[in-house]
Amino acid sequence: MSKVFYYDNIEGFEISYDNLFKDLSEENNYFLYCKTNSYYSVFKHIILSLILGEELILLDNDFSKEEINKLIGDENFIFNSKSFKSIGQVSFKDIQERINFNKNNWKITLFTSGTTGLPKKISHDFDSISRFVKRDKKRRDNIWGFAYNPTHMAGLQVFFQAFLNQNTIVRLFGVSRTNCFKLINNLKITNISATPTFYRLLLPPDLICPSLQNLTSGGEKFDSKTLQKLNQMFPNSRIRNVYASTEAGTLFASNDEVFYIKPEISHLMKIKNNELYLHSSLIGKSNSLKLNDNWYQTGDIVDVVTNKPNAFRFVSRKNDGINTGGYKVNPTEVEDVIRLCNGVIDVSVFGKKNSLLGNIISCQVIRSDNTLTEKCLRLFLQEKLQEFKIPRIITFVDSLKTTRSGKLSRNN
Amino acid sequence: MEKLLQLINTVLDNRSKLKIKHISSSSDLRNDCGLDSLDLAELTVRIEAEYDVDIFEDGLINTVGEILNKLNE
Repeated sequence: MSKVFYYDNIEGFEISYDNLFKDLSEENNYFLYCKTNSYYSVFKHIILSLILGEELILLDNDFSKEEINKLIGDENFIFNSKSFKSIGQVSFKDIQERINFNKNNWKITLFTSGTTGLPKKISHDFDSISRFVKRDKKRRDNIWGFAYNPTHMAGLQVFFQAFLNQNTIVRLFGVSRTNCFKLINNLKITNISATPTFYRLLLPPDLICPSLQNLTSGGEKFDSKTLQKLNQMFPNSRIRNVYASTEAGTLFASNDEVFYIKPEISHLMKIKNNELYLHSSLIGKSNSLKLNDNWYQTGDIVDVVTNKPNAFRFVSRKNDGINTGGYKVNPTEVEDVIRLCNGVIDVSVFGKKNSLLGNIISCQVIRSDNTLTEKCLRLFLQEKLQEFKIPRIITFVDSLKTTRSGKLSRNN
Repeated sequence: MEKLLQLINTVLDNRSKLKIKHISSSSDLRNDCGLDSLDLAELTVRIEAEYDVDIFEDGLINTVGEILNKLNE
């Protein structure tokens, strides 16, 4: 029997590699845009784009109609397709050969929260997206717990790591805690990469998952108490932190909070005024990214631990992006939308520290009169913003706090 | 208990989810009350504003009873 490619407990199905290849052989229409709530459809679309050497643009399924119109010009573009001659029956080896043959024509584009205005468009070619994929025989039997949104960079990194090693992918994103444990233990999941929030939601460690060998987490670092509990829950697993971004993908991994830069990429990064800079060859292509002499300013403030070897720890983010449960929210984008609501005079969006999500999106609003209620504002925002961007705490105030330069203060 | 039900319903209503009629100590916050991680984070803020206690400070809790224990500590 063919190995399972994808297992989805929420949609209630599993697809073997043979059935994936059969599905691919039946395709004869190619869509440039991918917007769907089916994880399998996203994965299949990515593989098809690789086989054909075509560009693919990923859109979050919960982007509102207005967000789509702003990002791509017209939401009807999503339905544009072109026909192609069916690729016929293929094997995994055929797919690998096609990917190698077409990889210079291929690119994938996704959107990430920028520091100003709309989400930024970032494109990656095959080499930049698969730069840190490790492929070898000992990884052939890995089973991945998939705990990210598949249209985000972190999800793509897991997908490529798993697919290029012909591993099984098991959906854990959106799965209840009880079912997560069942899936991890019944299917003997070996690897999970997820946000700290995902792991916190699995606690307390009243169940043990012995099959897990590698647990990876990105974004905020674990406090020692959480780390201790995770060690109890996953006694056979190595626990690592990674530094990754939509612009660059995964760059460093660490067993604690100190990141060592590998000698082979050390010339592609520099630290100036405590800020991390990456060379343009490490990052995806985008018109909205500002480069200075081929260097990209990450906005990450770091503390150099040693120079030889190069090692540092992260201190904070320089820009205004708010990390909430692993999602980055741009407060300016949210403020711009809130200001469109009738009755709103001004607004300030900020992150409030939260033990579960790291930060919770909050806002203070000045309204023209009491007819604008929290409920009205929420209904307005539900049609215009992705759920994770909508402030969870809304307070009506008479005046907004400003900094000495007159800018809105986000340090609430 | 009544106040906690009110706070849970505020969170549910904010997400346009159906309100619940009653809770008990054994009610599971996710399975019985229908709260997801974003909702739970909002609930912590609302409880903290009301009682000055961060219920998730020491790790995740799963039931209404565990919240009440935390508030009575």
